[in-house]
Amino acid sequence: MDLVTVNGLSKRFGGIVALSEAAFSARAGEVHALLGENGAGKSTFIQILSGAVKHDGGSILVDGQDYRPANPDDAQARGIAAVFQELSLIPDLSVEQNIWFRHEPQTMLGTVNRTQTRRNTLALLEKYDFPTLRPEQELRRLTLAERQIVEIAKGLAKNPRILILDEATSALPAREAEWLLKLTRQLAAEGRLVIFISHRMAEVRAIADRLTIFRNGSTVAAHEANTVSDDEIVTRMIGRHLDRLYPERVPTMTQRIALKVANLTSGSRLSGVDFSLREGEVLGVGGLQGHGQRELFQALFGATKAGGMIELWGKPAAIGNPRQALTGKDGIALVPEDRRGQGLLLTKSVRENLTLSVIRRFTENGLLSRQKEAALVKEMVDFLRIRAGTPEQLAGTLSGGNQQKVIFGKMLLTEARVLLLYDPTRGVDVGTKGEIFQLMRDLAAKGYAILFHSSDMPELVHVADRVLVMRNGRIAAALEGEHISEEGILRAAMLETRAA
Amino acid sequence: MSAFLARNRLIVLAYAGMVVLLLVTAMFSPGFLSVSNMRSTVVLAAFVGIVALGQTFVIIGGGIDLSVPWVLNSAAIVMALLCGGQDLPLIWVMPLLLAGGAFIGLVNGVGVAQFGVPPIIMTLATNVILQGLILVLTGGSPTPSAPALIQFLSVGRIGGFPVVALIWLALTLAATLLLSKAAFGRHLYALGTSATVAEFSGVPTARTTILTYVVSGLTAALAGMLLTGYSGQAYLGMGDAYLFTSIAAVAIGGASILGGSGHYLGTVAGAMVLTILTGLLPALNLSSGALLVVYGAVILITVSIGSETFAGLGGRIRGRRA
Ligand SMILES: Nc1ncnc2c1ncn2[C@@H]1O[C@H](COP(=O)(O)OP(=O)(O)OP(=O)(O)O)[C@@H](O)[C@H]1O
Ligand SMILES: [Mg+2]
Repeated sequence: MDLVTVNGLSKRFGGIVALSEAAFSARAGEVHALLGENGAGKSTFIQILSGAVKHDGGSILVDGQDYRPANPDDAQARGIAAVFQELSLIPDLSVEQNIWFRHEPQTMLGTVNRTQTRRNTLALLEKYDFPTLRPEQELRRLTLAERQIVEIAKGLAKNPRILILDEATSALPAREAEWLLKLTRQLAAEGRLVIFISHRMAEVRAIADRLTIFRNGSTVAAHEANTVSDDEIVTRMIGRHLDRLYPERVPTMTQRIALKVANLTSGSRLSGVDFSLREGEVLGVGGLQGHGQRELFQALFGATKAGGMIELWGKPAAIGNPRQALTGKDGIALVPEDRRGQGLLLTKSVRENLTLSVIRRFTENGLLSRQKEAALVKEMVDFLRIRAGTPEQLAGTLSGGNQQKVIFGKMLLTEARVLLLYDPTRGVDVGTKGEIFQLMRDLAAKGYAILFHSSDMPELVHVADRVLVMRNGRIAAALEGEHISEEGILRAAMLETRAA
Repeated sequence: MSAFLARNRLIVLAYAGMVVLLLVTAMFSPGFLSVSNMRSTVVLAAFVGIVALGQTFVIIGGGIDLSVPWVLNSAAIVMALLCGGQDLPLIWVMPLLLAGGAFIGLVNGVGVAQFGVPPIIMTLATNVILQGLILVLTGGSPTPSAPALIQFLSVGRIGGFPVVALIWLALTLAATLLLSKAAFGRHLYALGTSATVAEFSGVPTARTTILTYVVSGLTAALAGMLLTGYSGQAYLGMGDAYLFTSIAAVAIGGASILGGSGHYLGTVAGAMVLTILTGLLPALNLSSGALLVVYGAVILITVSIGSETFAGLGGRIRGRRA
């Protein structure tokens, strides 16, 4: 019998239909993938299941019984836990305090039993073979990937029968993502149901027993995973045939050097980085996570202090802060790693977010011209096909992929022609990924210079003209031509090279 | 239009509250809606409103200014001392003291933005330091009475309108332009919503923060001088009430005390509400102690209405997944 059966589920937010007549059914002991393009309603669906949002119509049966959670506690009582991204965690608490938040083991006096908490934490981390986490560490010190892992631990701490993973791999580096996939299989083998949402087809392929596809808030297909091809799935998802994900790599590089970096050093994380990025080039940055990629991008953008020399378009550049980085035609712009913490004002509109960096451009005699602003906003929303009810919709209520597009748009509105893209396709659906890669190539052809990091290695391999591999805060190798391969990147990332 | 209402729900609510309060007060004391009474209510509200202008900017930017009482008081007393009851010195005394207020704001702003001192500590410290300086300066002796010109600015009228109300109107216009029509406003809301995102977006966060405190120093000093005209003299402790009322006016006006939202137009309603309340309570035969109790309760209620919507929205957004 099915563990969860959903019929005719509907939900609207004001004028926006997030779900209409969606259906879904899944059994215990399986990994069930939920697929769909950005804004298809996947997250809304799981928010309803986990009691965070109430549905307008339709029925949900769990174990054959009517299920209508009033809040997340109800959901938990029925054995349902969802793994959300970083924001449901509390930055001021430690890792273990976050994991057991509101469910701490107690002493007889009703205070938190610390020794028991620690014991439970270690047992949990060991049982599921978690990548190293220190229970006492303050959450705010963790990277996005580490926070994502804490979030997973928090979900598992509730020992759920149904675990929902909403794009949990998107923030994880390759090795950790691998671990999560294995964990997912293990949970299914234990008889639990795992509902797995991801925009990475390979992952879905690796673990899903069955899959359900949403499109525009409705269910368009449900399959045994081994009965459909990738092609069919993608076509169902985006409603058209996707010829190719990766654009043709026509070399557009010129001799002109856009960005030259010499001996860039920052604490222990960056120790003497040298490279140049040419006009028209897409230069990939890869390697194992935590080897200085983040610091490199932030240092170039002026978000962390660094020593060394940076030249933009042949002129020495003093980049003390992001504002200086963004200024002018010789500027440098960043799509940051943490979309919610660094990229977007969640409680402000799409319009305000898009124009924040360039708001001065819309002033005449010191006064803003709303028409000018609106015109450019509309142009950008259309150009990137940002799915928002109106430009006044709050950025925080957009689907994940559309939030990413807003950040992209915000960067494109600046005059900067050196672009730093840190994992720009995180949480973006396949169709849109293709569009973003195409956009990157188009920009390169127009004379932009792009530094591109992706946690998804195939993207580096297929999109970049050259790939720099980082190890221990240095460039360990620069791969070109046929040397660019996943294997080549991994080898360079791990092998000892001769002392540089 | 409906979008406007939705976006500015809390501000609209503040004005609705103001109207209701007016009607209730009129019920208890029939003379309340008379022209002369409305006029004096607006004058009293203007002092609150002017101090609260700077406070609004600071709070939207995510800070708070606790130094307003003694910036106000210092400006009042130094003006009285320097003028010695004469009009003529005002020509240089007023600009000097406005600059002085701005300077205190600059010190606050630099402390907060450049040295990372928490706003509460920074502004509390300047407040106490100013208080000490003024006590040393006056030795506790009374100051000369206010010059006639400044009295005119506070209690005089032009074409039936109180001059101070006209000043308030002009300031309201200026503040509205800055918040809604200038790049500064966008930067300010971004800063108060998330300092990190603002920084990553190229917003001049330090400069914007400092500017809010400078404005607050300016408006507090201005209010101090005008208030001296209103009372006829400057005295120790005349600014004390304005710490609470300036923050309360901002909160009642619909701004989140955590920053990132609100508008001076809301604060204007907040200042009116607080002042009408002060008028209502005597009509109810309540003591000034009771006034404070009601004051506190009103703030608590309005702010919790505000934060309920905030929490709802926050929960909504926190609950959202990518
Ligand atoms: N609070 C809200 N207010 C307005 N619209 C909302 C709200 N929450 C969700 N939506 C809209 O509902 C639709 C479905 O969003 P949802 O987050 O479920 O998509 P998704 O399938 O998870 O997409 P993604 O793959 O990008 O994460 C989107 O168009 C989104 O803008
Ligand atoms: Mg989603």
